Amino acid sequence: MAVTEDPLALTTGDAAIVERPLGVLTRPQGGNGWRDWLSTVDHKKIGIMYGVAAMFFFIVGGIEALLIRVQLAAPNGSVLSADIYNQVFTMHGVTMIFLFIMPLAAAFANYLIPLQIGARDVAFPRLNALSFWVWIGGAIFLNSSWIVGGGGADCGWFCYSPNSGLAFSPSHGVDFYAIGLLITGIASLVSSANLIVTVLNMRAPGMTLFRMPVLTWMLLVTQFLLLFALPVITVALFLLLFDRLFGAQFFNPEMGADPLLWQHLFWIFGHPEVYIIILPSFGIISEIIPTFSRKPIFGYSFMVFSGIAIGFMGWGVWAHHMFVSGIGPLSVWAFSMSTMFIAVPTGVKILNWLATMWGGKLRFTTAMLFAVGTVAMFTIGGLSGVTHALAPADTQQTDTYYIIAHFHYVIFGGGVLGLMGGMYFWWPKVFGHMLNETWGKLHFWTMLIGFNLTFGPMHILGLQGMSRRIDTYSPGFGFEFWNLVASIGSFVIALSVIFFFFNVWKSRRDAPNLPAPGPDPWDARSLEWMIPSPTPEHNFDEIPVIESDDEWWHRKYGYDENHNVVRVATVEEVAQDGSATGVHLPAPSFWPLVLAAGLPLIGYGLIFNLWLCVLGGLLTGLGMYAWALEPVDDPDADHDHGHDDHHDDDDDDTEGAEAEMADVSAGDEEA
Amino acid sequence: MSHLFNVRGRQAGLVVALGLLLAGCASDAELDTLEPRSGVADDIYALVLPVFIVAGVVLVLVCGGVLWLGLKNRVKTYEGDDEFPAQVSHNNTLEIAWTAIPAVVMVIIAVATSVVHFAINDIDEANAMTLEVQGESIEWEPTIVVVGQQWWWEYRYYLDGEQITHEVLADPRNPPPADIVTSGQFAIPTGQEVELIITSRDVIHSHWIPALNGKKDAVPGRFAPWKIEADEPGLYFGQCTEFCGLSHSRMRMQTLALTPADFQIWIDEQMAPATFDDELQPYVDAVRAGETAAVGDDASAALRGLDVFNTQCASCHLVNGFNDLDYDGAEVVSGSAPDLTHLMSRTTFAGGILDLYNEDGSVNVDDLARWIRDPAEVKDNYADELPDGELPRGMPDRNLTERQIDDVIAFLTTLGPDASAEMIQATEVE
Repeated sequence: MAVTEDPLALTTGDAAIVERPLGVLTRPQGGNGWRDWLSTVDHKKIGIMYGVAAMFFFIVGGIEALLIRVQLAAPNGSVLSADIYNQVFTMHGVTMIFLFIMPLAAAFANYLIPLQIGARDVAFPRLNALSFWVWIGGAIFLNSSWIVGGGGADCGWFCYSPNSGLAFSPSHGVDFYAIGLLITGIASLVSSANLIVTVLNMRAPGMTLFRMPVLTWMLLVTQFLLLFALPVITVALFLLLFDRLFGAQFFNPEMGADPLLWQHLFWIFGHPEVYIIILPSFGIISEIIPTFSRKPIFGYSFMVFSGIAIGFMGWGVWAHHMFVSGIGPLSVWAFSMSTMFIAVPTGVKILNWLATMWGGKLRFTTAMLFAVGTVAMFTIGGLSGVTHALAPADTQQTDTYYIIAHFHYVIFGGGVLGLMGGMYFWWPKVFGHMLNETWGKLHFWTMLIGFNLTFGPMHILGLQGMSRRIDTYSPGFGFEFWNLVASIGSFVIALSVIFFFFNVWKSRRDAPNLPAPGPDPWDARSLEWMIPSPTPEHNFDEIPVIESDDEWWHRKYGYDENHNVVRVATVEEVAQDGSATGVHLPAPSFWPLVLAAGLPLIGYGLIFNLWLCVLGGLLTGLGMYAWALEPVDDPDADHDHGHDDHHDDDDDDTEGAEAEMADVSAGDEEA
Repeated sequence: MSHLFNVRGRQAGLVVALGLLLAGCASDAELDTLEPRSGVADDIYALVLPVFIVAGVVLVLVCGGVLWLGLKNRVKTYEGDDEFPAQVSHNNTLEIAWTAIPAVVMVIIAVATSVVHFAINDIDEANAMTLEVQGESIEWEPTIVVVGQQWWWEYRYYLDGEQITHEVLADPRNPPPADIVTSGQFAIPTGQEVELIITSRDVIHSHWIPALNGKKDAVPGRFAPWKIEADEPGLYFGQCTEFCGLSHSRMRMQTLALTPADFQIWIDEQMAPATFDDELQPYVDAVRAGETAAVGDDASAALRGLDVFNTQCASCHLVNGFNDLDYDGAEVVSGSAPDLTHLMSRTTFAGGILDLYNEDGSVNVDDLARWIRDPAEVKDNYADELPDGELPRGMPDRNLTERQIDDVIAFLTTLGPDASAEMIQATEVE
């Protein structure tokens, strides 16, 4: 390929580097150096990068949350000015939703979907890399507004027009918000298409849809929600940008525009977004609870169908965010009714988790604690949700702290706690060592207590009439005590997060002195536990043939004549040892990174200087062009490079022809 | 405040039933959503209370179930334990039951919700009351136009006997002249359903008097019908609840509920133009005649203050009977500034965040001076150091001297009638 002989490729005297010159136009080879992380198309490395970046933004959003709570700890708070406070609460919401929970869920989706369906990678590995690089570019772009944009967006994460217009938000914050979310939206959209195709086309032989683990199902539903929701917010953000940058009048009431247009577009995206956040966590705890109950998930098909039902009904409830916006009593009534009934499939899930635990042998590992905590905390959020599905009650509750309490119980209690449980559960699979259980339990209990201390009192504050998004409150309305409690609680959460990071550090340090966890440390049920920990680069030595749901568990256990469970094989007997060589894997590529790097430049260009758009456009165009010309397989690949060898795979992949990467890569090429 | 206005305490028993949830609801919580003081607010409360109880029961069952299962079925390890629990994977009857039972509960809640929802949205169009307006008796369908702007509320009363409608209003920036315009505090008659027509001059706000009803957004270009009513006389507090930019937290309002007889008195007072004493009147007459009026150094503080008002304030603030002849809206983004004609009849100013009177009934000169000295210091705004051509949002700093500030306050305090001692007491929170 001609481009590999680019004269601009850097060379130095260092022999190792001469062998692999540092130049974006040279085909990368894979391995484990830092350049391999930049060029990787391995779903596992991409998943890890998503996770690390998400946890970084968790800290950023958490610091913003602490600033909010410090400001509100006492009446007439003066730690932050009103202007800074508005920026901080806006960026807290944007960061936690788009830069923490969604990418953390993406980390699980990327890492686990191929493993759970018995595949070697996602359908379009290079697109997967593109998703990550586009997302991280958008994330950095969004937060760079603190430095180069004169502050963060100050319009709230919902950014209602006309307050988001140039006349009322003249700083660049809203531009960064709109462009940043457009960029991260591209990432999520590409990723959703990729993962949908992966689930539908790349399942191992015998892995029918209804043998898929509940987690994969929930992630699949999530990807469909993303696929349909993101175009809506994209349209809204484009309209907003055209108003702000080019003087369009889509949201200017002076020119006859109806500001409710933005609200409809935003919430048609925004409500499915809630399920985008919550369903991955539902999936995770649906893996954890059966494992630590020693029972199969109760009512698999009810669980799957209620997840699908939530996915569908999630599209019919958006206007419950607009009950007091003036949309007319009949519309309000219709959305009030639909909102009430979305409680039904959600309730089914809760009862099925309890039924899974019923009669089980419950082992309270940290992962199980988080999973059970998720069930309880989400229940509180769901119940308060029912109280504002009652449209008349919502006219009192909406835009008060009661709502803040509600959605934090849903998103933090139902979402974040579940994702944390997932970390403890799959940590050995990803990193090859366990997280420390003692510190894990400390992490859980401090987080649970801190969470309830912070958000429990907000129910009371809201019913007492404390409005949302206020940078200070006066003494005398009875808000003082519970605000102080909530602020103390927020620091307990911060402490729990410190415990988690300490645990990560300590567990890694202690790992060499502890026995390796082996492929299946939890006596778990799904396919990822039949392969070594950490997962080998090629995932499966042989693609397994699936004969039942909970396939891995059924390889270990059977039933005797009395229908009692008996072990039929040890883990060592049925697990794969990861020793296969020469498995055909997709070749790394720098082009996704190059393509993605152009997008933030276009964004800066739109705000500061259109010439930057030209530069960014050229970079993105170059990335696309070179990507299109780059063969899926690297003809110059180093044949001594272990698993990356692409030319003698024909004998190794005996099972599952459809899972072979050759097919996958062909699909990638077309994309 | 509540004891002053003879408010019912009948919910006490129910409140106790709610236990922990309400434990923190202090009795002095003026914005409390669980202390309804009107028929509509009662309806909402009566709807949500049983749902809170049902939700509480479900919560106890689920969380109790989790705890009970956790304690009962707990094992330390699976190490060396070959006995598995019964591998029950489903039970269709059970699962259909626990799909159906919540659905039935939701249907019951849905029916109750529907009834209340349509009741609170049904605005009675035939509840006119008789008012004496300038010697004439009119039938007034209680309707108040509520206009939000950054960061205060304006209330407009139309008392010419014609029903004010959305069509008549058309453009909230240039509404038809109203008979009474007030800000931050507005009066309603008790025992009467009052329709609010809620709109905005700039961004979206939300109008909320929790004791009297739920909230309704003020959306520019839209006119949202909403109703409030008060059973008993009193001062009811509210707060803007839709994020409306920089000083969203400093945008409050109060509803003054008066008996129909007191309401008539309020109407009479508010309808009258401002009156000036003998010293001020010549200056006022001169300005109204388009002549230049001069004020000597030996003039009283109020007269000097009127002069300051005329040169520094009158381009935005209206005082009926002084600058109404050539008043043409305020030079701010919303095109509107509070009408000060009867300023001292109110007990709050600066968008409902500062008290106009001290507890002892004297004028709160300190806060007035603080406000006039530098409004942005008291309440963040975008009114100073603006780029060329940009209009202010909020009250600009007029760079008055301390003496000018004292003078202008001396003038403003003549804009009566003064608020009653009872009202001043009621304004105090705590």
